[in-house]
Amino acid sequence: MKRIEAIRGVMEDVKDELVIATTGMISRELFVVRDRPENFYMCGSMGCALPIGIGVAMSTERPVIVLDGDGAALMSLGSLAVSKFLALPNLTHYVIDNGTYASTGDQPTCSQAVDFASVGHNVKLIRVEPGNEHGTPRIPYKPEEMLARFMGSIG
Amino acid sequence: MSGTATKENPTAGLYHEFKAQGYDFIVGVPCSYLKGFIKEHEADSALPFIPATREDVALGIAVGAYMAGKKPLVYLQSSGLGHLVNPITSLLKPYGVSVHLLISLRRAPFEHFEMYRITRDLMKLMEYDNYTIVEEQEPE
Repeated sequence: MKRIEAIRGVMEDVKDELVIATTGMISRELFVVRDRPENFYMCGSMGCALPIGIGVAMSTERPVIVLDGDGAALMSLGSLAVSKFLALPNLTHYVIDNGTYASTGDQPTCSQAVDFASVGHNVKLIRVEPGNEHGTPRIPYKPEEMLARFMGSIG
Repeated sequence: MSGTATKENPTAGLYHEFKAQGYDFIVGVPCSYLKGFIKEHEADSALPFIPATREDVALGIAVGAYMAGKKPLVYLQSSGLGHLVNPITSLLKPYGVSVHLLISLRRAPFEHFEMYRITRDLMKLMEYDNYTIVEEQEPE
């Protein structure tokens, strides 16, 4: 399965969930699959998608989905432990694992050595092929616009 | 700083001073200089206590809380400030998010000294001015 198909599968079931997507191609593929104000495209600060999701989930009763990659989850593996400690009932952490840093050219990660589901809380691991969907545009919004529309969607 | 501060507890009362200013979501990484502050946080059942694993994790959680309408505060010791360079420069500044940082400025022992020397300059270099520094008065 390609990563964009995994993202499509996750988003098919999404209704009013707040979605935080990690930096790089996962954000760009999410934008192509289904752009909506409830999506926050975290461009930069790799590893911070789960912490942001934790902070949002602690501060609202809305369901929160984090779309992470294996490289980003490994970069902040400690945040998975915090997530497990807090065990927030409204947080789902998808780790889309292609075993590579795909956004930077498919360099290998060490994801095969880690059982993300046992480290984190409510982790849904989806294994996908390496590589990126061709022709996905950069997110066209200014960062402050992305933030404002996401915050507006929380209400 | 609080009028109730003592040598044993230099940050006594500081936690409730921040709460009185409207901070309603507090997360950070411990420092011995802030242990009084942290003890007051732990004792406060009104706000959650989150054992963050690193400063960038704490700041990321605070940004999420900010997005959902909270007024967050992140505490850390200066030694951990390096972990915030990435989220400040690639998340907070570009997205226009500002989270107040409470930084305990540690001078000694020796491993603290280089960051002690550059902490204020580093904040200036990042053009991030939303912070409070509490500085230990006597090196340990």
